[in-house]
Amino acid sequence: MTATAEGAATPAENPIETHVADLAAALRGPARAKSRMLAEFREGLIDAARDLSCDDTDVDRVRAARRAVREFGTVAELAPDFQRELTVAQARLTARTVMLVAPLLLMCWYLLRWWPGTGGASAPGAARVLVAHLGAVAAVTALLAAAALVATGALARRLPMPRRLPLTVAWSGTAAAAALAVSALTLVASSVLASNWPLCAAAAGVVLVFHAKIAGAARACRECARVL
Amino acid sequence: MKASAVRGHLDGLLLSVLESGPLHGYAVITAVQERSNGVLELRKGTIYPALNKLERLGLLRSVWESEGERRRRCYELTDAGRRSLAEERSVWKEFTTAIGSVLDPASAPGPKPAT
Repeated sequence: MTATAEGAATPAENPIETHVADLAAALRGPARAKSRMLAEFREGLIDAARDLSCDDTDVDRVRAARRAVREFGTVAELAPDFQRELTVAQARLTARTVMLVAPLLLMCWYLLRWWPGTGGASAPGAARVLVAHLGAVAAVTALLAAAALVATGALARRLPMPRRLPLTVAWSGTAAAAALAVSALTLVASSVLASNWPLCAAAAGVVLVFHAKIAGAARACRECARVL
Repeated sequence: MKASAVRGHLDGLLLSVLESGPLHGYAVITAVQERSNGVLELRKGTIYPALNKLERLGLLRSVWESEGERRRRCYELTDAGRRSLAEERSVWKEFTTAIGSVLDPASAPGPKPAT
C-alpha cells in the first residue's frame, strides 16, 4: 500500500472514530442496541487496524486504520444491514411496550367500573360503549404486539419476517397511544363527576404517563421503518 | 469469491466457525477467511448485524468480555444454533450434489446419461 494510494496520512486524524461517527449518524434505532452494535464494530476496526499495521509509527497506524475502514465497508454499504437490525430492535421494543400498556389500560377501566364512587356502573351508555371500544383496541394491539415479538424472534428462523411488520407495529402502537389519550380525557371528565374523584384523577395521570411512553416508542418505530 | 455471492450463506458460515467454541466478532471474520484460505471475500462490517440477527433468533448467545481496557462481545452457539447448523449443512450438501450433477454429469453419482 503506497502513501499515494492511501493519501497523505496525518497522525492527528482518526479514521476509525470518524467512520464509526458517520455510521452512527446514518442510523436510527434504540440507543442501547445501536450503541452495542457500534461498540462491537469499533472494536473490530481496531483489531483489524492492528493486524494491518506494519510498524509502530503514528503515520503507519493511520494508514492501517484507513485500510481497515475500507475493508469493513463504506457507510452506504453497511447502513442497510445495521438499520434492518435496529428497526427490528425498535419494533420489538415498541411491541413490548404495547404489551405492557394495554393490560394496564384494561385494568384501569376495570377498577373504575367496579370501584365504589367512581360512577362506572352508572356511567351513561355512550361512555360504556367508548369503554368497550377502547378495551377492544387495547386487546387487539396487545395481540398484534405479541405476534410481532414471535415473528421477529424464534419464528423468524423458519419464516421470513414480513417487510411491513415494523410499520404495522408502529401503527398499532400509535392506535394504542391514541386509545390511552382518549382514556385519559374520559378519566379526567369522570373525575369531575365522580364522588371518588382522586382515584379517577390518579388513574388519568398514570394513563397519561403511559400514553407518552407508548407514543414515543411508536414514533421512533415509524422513523426506523421509514429509513429502512 | 465476491462478497455478494457469500451473502446468502453468511448465517451458515458464522454458525460453522462458532461450532468449535466462543469467538468475538473480529475473530469470527478471521476464522471465516482462514478456513476459506482467503477465497471468500467478506464485507467485514456486515458481520456485526449478522451476529446480532443470529442472537435475536436464539441461534447464538453472547457476553461482554474484558481484555485489559478493551471490551469484546463473545458469541457461542446455542442448542438451537447447533441444530440449525446441521440443517444448513444438509441443505448445502443436497444443493451442491444437485448442481454438480447438472454441471458435471460424468462425475455425478447414480445412472450415467445416455450417449
